[in-house]
Amino acid sequence: MTMSMISARLRREDFLPPSQGPSSLGGPIMNPETVPMWTESPRAPVEQAAQGEENPERVEALLRCQDLRKKFAERTAVDGISFQLAPGEIYGLLGPNGAGKTTTIKMVCGLLRPDTGSIMLNGHSAVNELAARSMVGYVPQDVALYPDLTASENLAFLGRLYRLGGTLLQDRIAEALELTDLTDRRNDRVDSFSGGMKRRLNIAAGLLHHPKLLVLDEPTVGVDPQSRHAILERVQSLGRSGMSVLYTTHYMEEAERVCDRVGIIDQGRLIAEGTRRELVARLGERDRIDLSASGDLEELAAACRTVTGVVEAAAGNDCVHLIADDGRHVLPAVLEAVNRAGVSVSSVEVKEADLEAVFLHLTGTALRE
Amino acid sequence: MPAPLEIAGKDLRQRLRDRSAIVIGLVAPLVIAALMSIAFKGADTFHYTLGVVDTDHGPVARALEHILHKAPLSQVLTVRDIPTRQSAANDVRSSHVQAALMIPAGFSASVDGAHPLPLSTLTSVNNQIAGNITASIASSFVAQLNANRLSVVTALDAGATDAQVAQLQSAVANLQIPEQMVQRPVGSHPLKVISYYGPAMAIFFLFFTISYTARSFFVDRSTGMIERMRAAPIRPVEILLGKVLSAFVFGLFSLGVIALVTTLVFGADWGAPIAAALVCVAMVIAVVCLTALVIGLARTQRQAEGIASAVVFGLALLGGNFVFISSLPDVMKRIALFTPNGQALRAFTDLSTTGGGLHAVMTPVVAILGFSLVVGFLACLLARRAVES
Repeated sequence: MTMSMISARLRREDFLPPSQGPSSLGGPIMNPETVPMWTESPRAPVEQAAQGEENPERVEALLRCQDLRKKFAERTAVDGISFQLAPGEIYGLLGPNGAGKTTTIKMVCGLLRPDTGSIMLNGHSAVNELAARSMVGYVPQDVALYPDLTASENLAFLGRLYRLGGTLLQDRIAEALELTDLTDRRNDRVDSFSGGMKRRLNIAAGLLHHPKLLVLDEPTVGVDPQSRHAILERVQSLGRSGMSVLYTTHYMEEAERVCDRVGIIDQGRLIAEGTRRELVARLGERDRIDLSASGDLEELAAACRTVTGVVEAAAGNDCVHLIADDGRHVLPAVLEAVNRAGVSVSSVEVKEADLEAVFLHLTGTALRE
Repeated sequence: MPAPLEIAGKDLRQRLRDRSAIVIGLVAPLVIAALMSIAFKGADTFHYTLGVVDTDHGPVARALEHILHKAPLSQVLTVRDIPTRQSAANDVRSSHVQAALMIPAGFSASVDGAHPLPLSTLTSVNNQIAGNITASIASSFVAQLNANRLSVVTALDAGATDAQVAQLQSAVANLQIPEQMVQRPVGSHPLKVISYYGPAMAIFFLFFTISYTARSFFVDRSTGMIERMRAAPIRPVEILLGKVLSAFVFGLFSLGVIALVTTLVFGADWGAPIAAALVCVAMVIAVVCLTALVIGLARTQRQAEGIASAVVFGLALLGGNFVFISSLPDVMKRIALFTPNGQALRAFTDLSTTGGGLHAVMTPVVAILGFSLVVGFLACLLARRAVES
């Protein structure tokens, strides 16, 4: 066996703090006209066990998506997705590229019409009513701003489309720029901004009209770690302020860090939903083992599946992901399998099960494929 | 403010910051119109210099020169005396004169004889018209002489006395050349070159608004701005309306500035202001509808630019923006009337030459608006898909 390095790191911390505040979904809806967006209030926690399971204590959800389906030619992008979002909740749609996340949120934002299903936003149909759109702040995946306009000109233009004007608009621009730490660049053209600054301004543009629901489509793709951290901080802050956030990502760490609940989406279907605890609990006491390797990874995965105690094995990018009943116990047998497969392993990592492990368990494939 | 106005205002702000838009919309049409005006300067009136080699110096030669110096020929040509045939040939070759007329020695004396000497002309290949006119003048003069000779001979054969013959010679000497060529415009005023090419170039560069606006739309779509606008509480048609509204305002501004500058600086005559403004508005409406059609037809920025280029140069060629419609073959003249720019140029030509008002442009304006209606209808069918896709 060729093994340049073996490291085993065990992490047992939980990413989410315990829920606080009222237990129902009927938390107060903040008035977007008057409440500053950084005012913090107790989050309205959400406890929902499984997809489609109704909570009898549930009060009116802010967003209710029911049986959404969307086909493009012969390809089914979204296949019967249903989920709900409470006021003040941060809900993450987690899935690999092409899973249907963006199609789903475009339907929520009224940019795509679902073939079937309904989307109700605070009692309004997001499919047919323009009024619903004024409650949504959409932050697209790619930076959508005019590079030849200044930051404040971009925000002013977009703000006016939401019927903001006069001093209210100026106040909102100042507020959004302050929230995204761009106040000192307000009069600079966007094409002079760094990638991270553009991303932050992209988010600021979605916040101007104080939406009830902020929809963020993979806002950290291609962003440097510092800007990524700043963006995630802002999203958490917005959630604490009472704004509902629908957040799509294919980064498991982000979903675990910022989302109250996560819906795991794959091939257009919502295959699991719940808090991180609920989702991970599906795996019981199982661990996740990642083998960083080069060579025939499919063969390595197949070899690992023969090891007693290994529940799932899937080849990813330069890595084979395993789910095992007891990671430390099965590790020697796994290393023997590696040896038999004749591949070169550079590192081995044993971790507590996380959302990526849940995804692997549910789909048999790695999240980042 | 309504969303279309917001979008149009933003687009106009971006356009005014874009130097290429200013160059294409304002500078280029003015420069090209001025260059064409200079290039065709004098083409609306004809005048040339005629070299005359008089080696006769007799009374008939003097009579011919007298005719050349007085009206109406003096309005068409200027006479320059040249001593020898060789000098005349050199001057024609070097374009110091555009044609030359040779009066041979003994020409006056030969008129009374049986074999009069011929007048001859020298013509430059670079100025056939001057040569043809000179030859016509010489032929007419000789024909007049022959008529005189014939009348005198006829009188003598009939037994006229010397006194009667002298009286007859005096009378025929006062006869004028029977045929004259006089240029008259169709209307009450001649058409100046700048009065044609001013509007022609303004309309030609107005067409570039189609390309600019369509490109702006597809750039907005590829960068996600159209999607971002659609996420706001506005309808897709409002986005398209804002885009074409900016094209309308910029197009009207461009035409207005060019009309003003060509009138004040180059002396172009666009006709009665209200009638000219009506034609401009109709023309800009046509361009706006064409813009919406290009946006509806194209699926990408590259396609939009290709279609817009085909539309711009196709219409400009067919409509007579590069050459006078009057100089086109009949079939092309008819085709030009099916283009909005052809109709607009006809309207501006009528306004400039007839001095007419609104009634003079009603037919072209209705034709342009009819064209716009058809194009606009097609655009409405196609453009919604472009915004929503």
